[in-house]
Amino acid sequence: MIHAQAAVPLGRGRFTELSLLIWVATLAITGFVAVLATETSSFRPTAVVVPAVFLALMLSLHVFLVGIRFRGDQILLPIAAGLTAIGLVLVQRLASDLLLQQLSWSIIAAGAFAATIVVPRDLTALARFKWTWALLGLLLLIAPLLPVIGREINGARIWIKVGPGSIEPWEAVKILLVIFFAAYLEEYREVLSHAQRRIGPFPVPPVPYLVPIVAMWGIAMLVMVFEKDMGATVLFFGIFLAMLFLATGEAFYAIIGLGLLILGGIVAYQLFGHVQARVDTWLRPFDEDLRFGTGYQLVQGLYALANGGLIGVGLGNGMPDRIPIVWSDFVFDAFAEEAGLAGAIALLALYLVFLYRSPASRFPSLPTAARRL
Amino acid sequence: MTSPISANIRSLTLTLALAFLVTSIGAAYWTVLASDQLANDPFNPRLIAATNDRPRGAIVDRNGSPVATSEKAAAGFIRSYKDRTLAQVVGYASPKFGLSGVEAAYADSLIGQDPADPVSIWKARYLGDRAPAGQVLLGIDLKIQKAAADALGGRKGAIVALDPRTGAILASVSVPSYDANQVVDPSKQDAAFDQLSHSPDHALLNRVAQGLYPPGSIFKVVTGAAALENGFDPTKKLRVDDPYQADKSWGDYFVRSASHAHGLFDMSDGFRLSENIYFAQVGLQIGAAKLTDYAKRFGIGSTPNLDLPAAKGQLSDSGSIDRPTLLADTSYGQGELLVSPLQMALIYATIANGGVMPTAHYATEVRDADGHVVRQIAPGPQGQVISPNTAKTLTTMLVGAVSGPGAFAFGAKIPGVNVAGKTGTAENRPGEAPHGWFVGFAPAENPTVVVAVIVENTAEGGVTAAPLGGQVMRAALGK
Repeated sequence: MIHAQAAVPLGRGRFTELSLLIWVATLAITGFVAVLATETSSFRPTAVVVPAVFLALMLSLHVFLVGIRFRGDQILLPIAAGLTAIGLVLVQRLASDLLLQQLSWSIIAAGAFAATIVVPRDLTALARFKWTWALLGLLLLIAPLLPVIGREINGARIWIKVGPGSIEPWEAVKILLVIFFAAYLEEYREVLSHAQRRIGPFPVPPVPYLVPIVAMWGIAMLVMVFEKDMGATVLFFGIFLAMLFLATGEAFYAIIGLGLLILGGIVAYQLFGHVQARVDTWLRPFDEDLRFGTGYQLVQGLYALANGGLIGVGLGNGMPDRIPIVWSDFVFDAFAEEAGLAGAIALLALYLVFLYRSPASRFPSLPTAARRL
Repeated sequence: MTSPISANIRSLTLTLALAFLVTSIGAAYWTVLASDQLANDPFNPRLIAATNDRPRGAIVDRNGSPVATSEKAAAGFIRSYKDRTLAQVVGYASPKFGLSGVEAAYADSLIGQDPADPVSIWKARYLGDRAPAGQVLLGIDLKIQKAAADALGGRKGAIVALDPRTGAILASVSVPSYDANQVVDPSKQDAAFDQLSHSPDHALLNRVAQGLYPPGSIFKVVTGAAALENGFDPTKKLRVDDPYQADKSWGDYFVRSASHAHGLFDMSDGFRLSENIYFAQVGLQIGAAKLTDYAKRFGIGSTPNLDLPAAKGQLSDSGSIDRPTLLADTSYGQGELLVSPLQMALIYATIANGGVMPTAHYATEVRDADGHVVRQIAPGPQGQVISPNTAKTLTTMLVGAVSGPGAFAFGAKIPGVNVAGKTGTAENRPGEAPHGWFVGFAPAENPTVVVAVIVENTAEGGVTAAPLGGQVMRAALGK
């Protein structure tokens, strides 16, 4: 997706990027020092090695971009680096055993980042094998349901056994599906957008083209019912609808899709205990019959948020350990307790700028778009 | 015409930006707006964790005698509860089961962060510099508390004594009780809590404020007050013939007299001999609207403003009096009425206090570690419920109900002191023995104590309860 052209006129270097990376370095160092200062357990060398490796990694990415005279956006890398820094600090804070693992993934991600820039940008080769990606994605999606290799952890069947541990194939599925959707929609977007018939303002494409929507919906429902993962369901179908909208510009498809999702959700709520529990817990976690059961984790998370207040209690001063599985499910709450509303919104803002920066580097600025609305 | 993808990307970006805005609003709600409420939620582990490395503040009675203290234990500190009869009031502070009672209601004060002391809260929060915990002082007087606990003994029920001038609760007994030390003892807590939460007797329940019972005859003061304030002449004699019905439309439904009375009754006679048929007729004369109005003014059906959890009771199942037989039954305290002992104590406190209802409260003061008063807990009165004249007239009749000829509540008499009071024998579900009530105050001329007693399922009803009320009042008056 990144064919980005520079939005900022360039001289020889990438000074915007470098100066922003200095802020990221400050963030990472302060974060690690603050966590170390309040840590009660014994000191481990990883706490110093990891931030050092991280800083070296970011610096080398920057030098690499300068070296190849890359003329793309200078803000995306610092934001990604900032989010990675916050991630590493929080892993050190919440589950320091996983710190090296987190760092390894950061290194892999940095490698992937460099690779997407160096490797030829012609993506049509990917499009040619779109059905292969679709099939692979589907296989991975249903893999956790298979006997022997599939695993159910904490009530969700979304893991498969690999060697001594287990992985969530879902993470790979996301990327495969995005590639497939992009290729598929590119091929059919004309047909999907140029509906032959209309009912009122709504386009009705020929039946064969509605099939994908219904098929994707069916798969999403299967994920919800059998893998018991509400988050994956919404994300999977959400990605599909977003891309369908990107290709066709028909908000109507998104509305049909959301309608189907809600309908399926209501039916599943009536039929399946795990869906019901999840929804009830979300709606009223403080109910007497939920707060010590299925709502426990959520309630502990809300206590953490409430303790955060406007500016937080400071890194290392909160009580994230009271939230079960905090390092995996409730990192945001743990961060908001210690960094407060200010930190939480700053974190969200980083994602928002990242999101905005990607299309904005190619297309008119957001203010221009806003004026047109 | 296919819209250009760039336009679609912009729309999608704006949609997602909107989603971020919604998420930020959600974060703002939970971190800032809901913050205070959640910070003091009794199950928030942060309240307990604040006392892992230092003692929690003591809870003491009005003379400074401790009822809950923190003792050094192998790991951190453990709470020690001194008085089993105060279990439901003081509550417990358990790392596992959260907080209850005063431990929950004054949780922030007990960790040295009283809301009246924002500097301490700020220092603890942002500088990690936590003030040593202070004390919470209760209105409870352990001497009166003991008299009340001894009076009730092992019988199920409740006794509450309060000062009608301030609303401070002087004694509060709820039987059966439990040993809170077991709930906070790591080696016994699971078994103890499991047993308590499944106990058919509801030992965790503070019957004083949360127990709901039909009031029976003690409710007649409400009917009396409504009548007196609406021009009803208390000296007018009404004909009582047992059994009674207003007209044939009642079918086989009758109001019964406890003493199978036949004769002429005025209001004094009605109170002294607790005549149901007299008050049924009064209620029918003044009408449902006026009785409903006064029951509501006296707080029936609304949660009392108390610093601990309290039940609100009800005037009737539907909330209104919609038929004559229900009006007749409600007028003498039956029908579908439900009240807590505290609500009845507050109604009599209003009469004792010249018609002004006080606000009940268990705690009276928060002090810091040096003994300085951080906050006085003295909630103002709820307001003028009935006129001073009505209060005076009712007091005179209630004195007659204790010491007049043939009075039902004779058991509450104290030599040398004028006691005002009323017994009640509240009919229960069929097949269950009635509840025995007594509510009264003393000295009648200048009341300093109101006592409400309920003994569950006792065959003699109010006759059982009256002497218990007398014992507690005597302890309170030092007689």
